[in-house]
Amino acid sequence: MANRLGAMSSASAANQGAKSAGNPSRPAANGNVIKRLQSELMALMTSPTPGLSAFPAGSDMTKWNATVTGPSDTPYADLTFKLTLSYPANYPYAPPEVLFKTPIYHPNVDMAGRICLDILKKGGDGSEGAWSAVLNTGSVLLSIQSLLGEPNNASPLNGEAALLWDRDQTEYKKKVLARHQEPEDVEAADVA
Amino acid sequence: MSGSPPWSSSRWHSSQAGFVPHHATSNSTGRLEVASSPPDVQRSLSAANIAGHSSLRGMRRLEARRQMEEANFLSSKARSQNLNPPIDLRMLDYVTAYDDNLMCPICRCPFLDPVVLAECDHCFCRDCIRQTWASTYSPLGPRGDCPSCRTPAKLGPRSATSKILVNITDDLLVRCPKSEDGCKAQVKRGEVQDHVNIYCGYAYMECTADDCELHVLRKDAAEGCLHFGVSCLDCRQSMQKASLETHWRVQCPDRKVSCELCKEAVFNREWDTHSRETCPAISIPCPGKVFGCNSRSKRSQADVHAKSCTFAKLTPMLTAMQQRMDEQEAAQKVMVRKLEVLEGGFQAVQTILSTKQEDPDQVGADESRIPLLTGRPHQRGDSGGMLDAMVVETDVGAFVFPPPSSSSRPSSELVHVRAGASLPPLYSAPMAPGPRPADLPEPFTMDFDMASPFPPPAANGPYISPLHHLLSMHESLRDEMSRMSAALQELDGRQSMQALNENLRTREEISYMAAQVAGLSRQVHWLTSAQLQRQQHGGAGRQAAGAAGPSGSDIAGAGAGVEAAVSTAASALRGAARIVNAGQGMTMRRGLSEEGRTKL
Repeated sequence: MANRLGAMSSASAANQGAKSAGNPSRPAANGNVIKRLQSELMALMTSPTPGLSAFPAGSDMTKWNATVTGPSDTPYADLTFKLTLSYPANYPYAPPEVLFKTPIYHPNVDMAGRICLDILKKGGDGSEGAWSAVLNTGSVLLSIQSLLGEPNNASPLNGEAALLWDRDQTEYKKKVLARHQEPEDVEAADVA
Repeated sequence: MSGSPPWSSSRWHSSQAGFVPHHATSNSTGRLEVASSPPDVQRSLSAANIAGHSSLRGMRRLEARRQMEEANFLSSKARSQNLNPPIDLRMLDYVTAYDDNLMCPICRCPFLDPVVLAECDHCFCRDCIRQTWASTYSPLGPRGDCPSCRTPAKLGPRSATSKILVNITDDLLVRCPKSEDGCKAQVKRGEVQDHVNIYCGYAYMECTADDCELHVLRKDAAEGCLHFGVSCLDCRQSMQKASLETHWRVQCPDRKVSCELCKEAVFNREWDTHSRETCPAISIPCPGKVFGCNSRSKRSQADVHAKSCTFAKLTPMLTAMQQRMDEQEAAQKVMVRKLEVLEGGFQAVQTILSTKQEDPDQVGADESRIPLLTGRPHQRGDSGGMLDAMVVETDVGAFVFPPPSSSSRPSSELVHVRAGASLPPLYSAPMAPGPRPADLPEPFTMDFDMASPFPPPAANGPYISPLHHLLSMHESLRDEMSRMSAALQELDGRQSMQALNENLRTREEISYMAAQVAGLSRQVHWLTSAQLQRQQHGGAGRQAAGAAGPSGSDIAGAGAGVEAAVSTAASALRGAARIVNAGQGMTMRRGLSEEGRTKL
């Protein structure tokens, strides 16, 4: 491992010698993350996708709030779900952490709102993640939206939901509606 | 596969970079050549030397001069590079709007040193793709899946794009990175490093004075060494002349700057409050904004707007109402929570009671026909007598307990009936021991009837409100209470009846014996008096005749003996009566035995 690291760092040192200026230095990496997030925000603002919205939660550019509307012709139709996205310091080389804040009944979402989705995991040695650096906030939210209508029942976080999805759609829809809360209610509960 | 055009173009590019003097190359890939210029220059210089040998002497002189210029240029460039760190081209502020197709999908900036993956033709910045593949290291060079299409790909030594893409991205106009310090220049991206290193007036360079080691802004370099102490005219802070201007522009609290909006000169230290609160030209939202007025007006004209705006007029009232609503909501929340707690408490109490209730109810079920004293109000005032007790006993009625299994929450009517049936007997029971419980149930039933405005819970059905539910539970609890107290009183009555029956026999015997003893004593008395009369007669006769003395004294002695025996029997009887008294502890009893004693 140390060997490998050594080889890598020497390679990158040689790199630096070759092309100096553009190589992002360590402290500037965060600046690059923010620059990229600003660019994504600009893209989301100028060409919004219907049913999706995202905006930084506060002054911290690396924490965003997002909303996803359930696709029509699914049990989640007309329901709005609130999510939080948190971007790591090495974004976009590592995926953002996405959580459902609205309680949701879904085979691939657990009670804490964690999402089981391959593109939200970093790939590489041995791991099965499918995160790619070209993915962005918009594409992640779009994937989550389509996950609502097409759950991956082969690897469920919520086994009961996975079984029910295949067996009884009307009962499934009932459970979805029972678990769902309007985002305003969730906020009120948080405040209380 | 489009293998040959990139290869050929890249070869063209590298040969170009090898031969053309650095001015030209820095135009296109300035970032690269700046760092690697010394070897390049060496090469170009040697090439020039070769050329020089073959030319005339004048040419050689010219060449020498050019060499010197170049050396000077390069050394100053190298020096300034130490003072001005390399620019991160991704952080630049792009003036030209650029197409999304010129944007690296990873860093979302215009391509920087773009490479194209031979396997899938996707294009990325070299840094971006290298860093993406940093986790999947291979000794054969950077390789991994294409981030866009996941095709396995690798980065060869000649992976590069056509020159035209490099030129397009390097020709994008950017603002000078020193624009915050005051540089207004907009330059091509490919030239920005040279701009900062050579031309930008706001970049640092070494001080022109020979003995000064400090650095100075390039635009101030002509004024000689500025590194001497001065003090600011406004705030009297001492500093070096070179930094005075920056101080004036951003730091000095006592320097006046003019507001762009209202043209007024404001002190630096008051700038924040001015721009936030006082500037008359700044536009502020209508005070009724939260209630729907979207208009903004300049601070100086805000009053005019507020006079005409309905929202602004209503704002104080609406805010007051909002506040009150919030307060009431909070209060209601507290109440709801309290109600929940109370409900929980009642539930707990009820479960405790319902489990306890099992036992008495079982007993009641076993002896569901408990003999009770029926109500005869006129007996109430009667003093206890044997006859009364007998009558009461014969009049004992049977009271039927409602079977406990019929309903877990007995209806209040039933309890009412039961209370009415069971209370009067208690009043009439003359022998009831202990404190009379009469004062307990009567106000209780009254209270029950008057104080409950709700109809008695007739069924276990759903209730209109938690309050209703609570009240009904309260009532059922009361019913339980009255039932239990009634049962207790019945038990009490039964107990006293038993004791009474037990004692009756004893009393009868005692009275019989007392009568016997009385008869005996009367006989003895008669005998004694007859004997005494005879003795008196005899005594008179003896005194008169003095004959029958001894026989008369014998009879008198016998009479005295009988009398003593009778008195012993009477005392024994009295002892028995006392024992009975002690066993019963009743005043009537005592009266009875007293009666017996007086009979004695």
